[in-house]
Amino acid sequence: MKLAGLKSIENAHDDSVWAATWVPATDERPPLLLTGSLDETVRLWSSDELTCQATNTGHCLGVVSVAAHPSGVIAASASLDSFVRVFDVDQNNTIATLEAPPSEVWQMQFDPKGTTLAVAGGGSASVKLWDTAEWKLIASLSIPRPEGLKPSDKSGNKKFVLSVAWSPDGRQLACGSMDGTISIFDVPRAKFLHHLEGHFMPVRSLVYSPVDARILFSGSDDAHVHVYDTEGKSLINAMSGHASWVLSVDASPDGAAIATGSSDKTVRLWDLKMRAAVQTLSSHTDQVWAVAFRPPGGPGVRAGRLASVSDDKSISLYDYS
Amino acid sequence: MASVYIPVQGSEEEVRVVVDQLPRDASDILDILKAEQAPLDLWLIIAREYFKQGKIEQFRQILEEGSSPEIDEYYADVKYERIAILNALGAYYSYLGKIETKQREKEEHFIMATQYYNKASRIDMHEPSTWVGKGQLLLAKGDVEQAFNAFKIVLDGDRDNVSALLGQACVQFSRGRYSDSLELYKRALQVYPRCPGAVRLGIGLCRYKLGQYEKAKQAFHRVLQLDPENVEALVALGILDLHTNEATDIRRGMENMQRAFEIYPYCAMSLNYLANHFFFTGQHFLVEQLTETALAITNHGPTKSHSYYNLARSYHSKGDYEKAGLYYMASVKESNKPREFVLPYYGLGQVQLKLGDFKTSLLNFEKVLEVYPDNCETLKALGHIYIQLGQTEKAHELLKKATKIDPRDPQAFLDLGELLISTDAGAALEAFKTARALLEKGREEVPVELLNNIGVLHFERGELELAEQTYGEALGDGIWRALIENKSLPYPIDVGAYIYQYKDSQFFHRLEEQGFTVEVPWNKISVLFNLARLFEQLNNTESASILYRLILFKYPDYIDAYLRLAAIAKARNNVHISLELITDALKVDEKCPNALLMLGDLELKNDDWVKAKDTFKAAKDASDGKDSYATLCLGNWNYFAAVRSEKRAPKLEATHLEKAKELYTKVLSDHKANLYAANGAGVVLAEKGQFDVSKDLFTQVQQAASGSIFYEMPDVRINVAHMHFAHGDFPLAVKMYQNCLRKFYYNTDSQVLLYLARTHYEAEQWQDCKKTLLRAIHLAPSNYTLKFDAGVAMQKFSASTLQKEKRTVDEVRSTVAELKNAVRVFSQLSSGSNLQFHGFDEKKIDTHVNYCKHLLEAAKVHCEVAERDEQQNRQRIELARQVSLAEEARRKAEEQRKIQMERRKQEDELKQVMQQEKNLERIKEQWKSSGPATKRKDRSHFEDEEGGNNEKRRKKGGKRRKKDRGSKSRYETDEAEADIMDDHEDDEDGNINYGDRSNPMNDQEDEGEEKAQDLLVAAGLEDSDAEDDDVAAPSNISRRRHAWSESDDDEPQQRQPQSSPNGEHSAEMQLSDGEVGGDDDKFNADAAADDEDQ
Repeated sequence: MKLAGLKSIENAHDDSVWAATWVPATDERPPLLLTGSLDETVRLWSSDELTCQATNTGHCLGVVSVAAHPSGVIAASASLDSFVRVFDVDQNNTIATLEAPPSEVWQMQFDPKGTTLAVAGGGSASVKLWDTAEWKLIASLSIPRPEGLKPSDKSGNKKFVLSVAWSPDGRQLACGSMDGTISIFDVPRAKFLHHLEGHFMPVRSLVYSPVDARILFSGSDDAHVHVYDTEGKSLINAMSGHASWVLSVDASPDGAAIATGSSDKTVRLWDLKMRAAVQTLSSHTDQVWAVAFRPPGGPGVRAGRLASVSDDKSISLYDYS
Repeated sequence: MASVYIPVQGSEEEVRVVVDQLPRDASDILDILKAEQAPLDLWLIIAREYFKQGKIEQFRQILEEGSSPEIDEYYADVKYERIAILNALGAYYSYLGKIETKQREKEEHFIMATQYYNKASRIDMHEPSTWVGKGQLLLAKGDVEQAFNAFKIVLDGDRDNVSALLGQACVQFSRGRYSDSLELYKRALQVYPRCPGAVRLGIGLCRYKLGQYEKAKQAFHRVLQLDPENVEALVALGILDLHTNEATDIRRGMENMQRAFEIYPYCAMSLNYLANHFFFTGQHFLVEQLTETALAITNHGPTKSHSYYNLARSYHSKGDYEKAGLYYMASVKESNKPREFVLPYYGLGQVQLKLGDFKTSLLNFEKVLEVYPDNCETLKALGHIYIQLGQTEKAHELLKKATKIDPRDPQAFLDLGELLISTDAGAALEAFKTARALLEKGREEVPVELLNNIGVLHFERGELELAEQTYGEALGDGIWRALIENKSLPYPIDVGAYIYQYKDSQFFHRLEEQGFTVEVPWNKISVLFNLARLFEQLNNTESASILYRLILFKYPDYIDAYLRLAAIAKARNNVHISLELITDALKVDEKCPNALLMLGDLELKNDDWVKAKDTFKAAKDASDGKDSYATLCLGNWNYFAAVRSEKRAPKLEATHLEKAKELYTKVLSDHKANLYAANGAGVVLAEKGQFDVSKDLFTQVQQAASGSIFYEMPDVRINVAHMHFAHGDFPLAVKMYQNCLRKFYYNTDSQVLLYLARTHYEAEQWQDCKKTLLRAIHLAPSNYTLKFDAGVAMQKFSASTLQKEKRTVDEVRSTVAELKNAVRVFSQLSSGSNLQFHGFDEKKIDTHVNYCKHLLEAAKVHCEVAERDEQQNRQRIELARQVSLAEEARRKAEEQRKIQMERRKQEDELKQVMQQEKNLERIKEQWKSSGPATKRKDRSHFEDEEGGNNEKRRKKGGKRRKKDRGSKSRYETDEAEADIMDDHEDDEDGNINYGDRSNPMNDQEDEGEEKAQDLLVAAGLEDSDAEDDDVAAPSNISRRRHAWSESDDDEPQQRQPQSSPNGEHSAEMQLSDGEVGGDDDKFNADAAADDEDQ
């Protein structure tokens, strides 16, 4: 198991790149890399060559997150001004503009079937669910306030929701918050299930194992990656190694590895069997805000790819094998 | 059968006395001798016979009778025999005196001997045998010079007198002139070849002293051939054999000694050597017996000294240092000449060192060093003592010398390394490495402590991999290896329980159940701890935590492990667990200052101000006020207390500051080099406005701190940046903040980003300011203050753009966009305030929203104007283009005309002229109709509020406005290429119109502006100049901080007290110092262990 650098694009954006995801392949084209930046643009990149296919404008303040529909046809991007723009990947037509004030927008993710878009709602302590057919707000999953807290208590804003992740079967949703707790929801019943504790600093990234719907990986500012069993509510493993915040976690499609990006400017590859980091890549010169494995599928796409984006305005692409 | 014949007086008959059958009572013989008036030589013969048979009493009786006055009278003319009798008596008493150990009797015997010799001398002054006897007596008395003279008299008379020769040889030997002595012995032997073995013994001794060991050996062997029971020869041979240092010889030597002992058990020399032997074989009981006997039988100083030494050594090796010391002392007293017998000094030094009496020990070792200036052991011992006495330089010198003299002595390098640890880590590491290499070369086991020290030194130098490797070698195999490497040990923990992960020891119990042996040898704890510390440094926190827990599982009193676990938990923000761990640590030692200090820190984090203060005070008391960190913490506490409260009470603030300063100063006076205290003092001074002094302080601290991984202080760099900021040197401040962020915080500290944004704001770099704030928001999404600030920055940007007298359309458009963003940000905050997200006053935000909306409206108008402007510009350009086209056309036409003219000139001149005129006319017509822009007067009279606004602001604003104006005028001249006149007209029109129309609105807006400014102040983003005039709000005056501290003043609710310029970080830095200190302790412990080895 190993990552090998393929290509790096310096100054891929005019400013820090904050978000990245892969748009799955469609019948017409292979998968594309979607990135969002502080320069208020969203860009699409062809795979392996990393040539810029399109530059979408229309956001104010920095673009904090991007999400791609599993069909590969549509995608969403969100910025610090809390607008979500849903657009047609190939045409760049705006399909919808979403906002749910006073809720902010942080991380977003489409559910595996593509019927729902989950949006981390920041200070509203909730996750907003949007129907992807009519772009209507269908549910707001709120994290219950801890008991014995007065509404006026300032610590109320500690359940500030930063990150979301869908389980591969689409039944469960996990969200991570500033105080380090992870909340698990049963989506069909729109019900809060339980908290997963262990982090005490912001959880900025979450991802379920693609092969085991019970396994959840979380990256936190405490420089640790935790592996949870969401059903058993137990912490399976805690992995340390990064020198600073873990900003992003992604699981490889084969489920054997995870990659992390950190403020310590490195990308690490972790072997889940060995429960240890097997590789540390330092191609970036500033914090690595996102790492993303390319989903399998599409014409002529077999090899594994990992992309990472950073505050240094660059994008790096690696071969994963 | 030998017999003596006594002639019967007056007859030819003789009485035959069989020598073997001498009567027991000497009186019988005496009677016969007297009765028969036997010649005196017979008396002597019989006495000698008695002596040979060991009948000393009879011998004396006969001789005394033979020297009595009546005999003198009777035999008055028989001189020689009388002298012989006297001499025999003299010799007898000299011998008695010689072997007598009690001083008084000894003296008495010598007196008797002297009397007899003197009597003999009176009979005949020149009798050589008397002189020989006298010489012997003097020798026995130790009066070597007199003896020399006595023998010389004899030898002058007869240079071949054997006895005198022997006596003289003895004298020379005593004088240490061994070759002379040897010559004399040889002469004696030549003169009288059949002389007894004793002569050859003398030769052997001389040869021995001259270093001719083989010849000496031959001589001794010859003695033994003549007299197989000669004790001296046996002992001498034994000594010679022992000194060869070869096993077989030593065994033979010991056999000789043993035989000598069997023949004559009272020879001190052989006793000493036997004792020496038994010391090495470890039979201490025998050693004591032998040496005690030796001491009882000898009076000879050096021999006694040797005996005492043996005894002392025996006790020393048994660990009875008191007794050993006493006997060493006795030994030293006996010989008192370090040059001859230095060993007891060394032993004494060792014992005194052991007993902690460094000063006297030092003296003794120095005596040894005088004799053997190159003795490594002594050099090391002295070095060690100097270390203990704190004279490191001297110690260094000595140890260095020791390593130079014997570069293969690992111990010397070890000592040197330990000495250098605190002063020169690099050299220490080198020394340790050499020691290790030497030990490995010598196939000796490398002590764990040495490896540990090497590891720690590598660690301190930042060579983490080498350190890890070394620790690994030090630890060898054990349960820890499985824990570190075999990560597949499954230990799923219930999430509920997991928050206790840093206290969990169940894991080890389970391991034990699974059949693993969880054992940690005591000498490996330190290494284990250091390894864990290293893992922490490598960010391998999980392994570190397991190792710490392993230590605690086996040694629950190891406070440092609790503290490190607590620190790990704290770094992960797990305050609860951290507190519990500290409590555990305090259970072990409730006065542990480190634990108390950490507790205080955690309490601060929990916002327990009063508790924290008490804890810090307790820590200070626990360390008797010697721990400057405790004092420092109290100082920090006071500083925080001074600046934290939202509602400032100037009096309280001043007392807190004063107290803080006092505490910092105290630390500084105790430890001049304490960077943290200097930093704190700088902060207080800056807080009081003494920027120049504090800037100097900060710069010095920064310089001192750079270059060591342990003393890098981001706080002080931030503070220096603050100072530059306060002095208005914005570009430098920006640079420093950015460097700090990158170097120390992985660009993740939103607080520093806020400082940076503030600098940009003051420098009026709005876009940079906004970007910086956006980054900060991205890093700290739940900090709404940052959002507010971003809104303000955008608002400010828009306002300032609109104030410009000249703007491009793009500028105005971006202004509009920015205003929209600002409105959005503010309205979000406003709606959020309903949900109690943050602590902002809804009304204030609404004011901002309204102001921005107002600006937006105005901006829209601006936008239209600008757009129209642009359109006009475009038109103008178009027109110019047309004109130039026409011109071109005309030129071409003219050219054509010229050609035509030339062609037609001759044809029809008149016709041509007329046509030309017509053409010109037509062109003129055309010009007039499309003349210069007619609509210019329509240009905006909305050159807008900024006119009035600007004036007001000018009144309000201080110097910054002036600068503003300056830059504006520059701008104007740059732009002045066109339309100056027109613009002026426009401006005037605009102002007038605007003034007429929107005065009321303007006023209202100013009110809003003021409110907004209050807010801006609250957000820490308004310039202090503007506030100076804000007399209406006196409470603000106290808040008017100089720039550098302002970021502390802002965000009343949300600011965490400890995130102010110096605080937490210094605490943590200090903490790591504490660890280093801990390691030092370990070094000390090792040193102590080494003592025992010596």
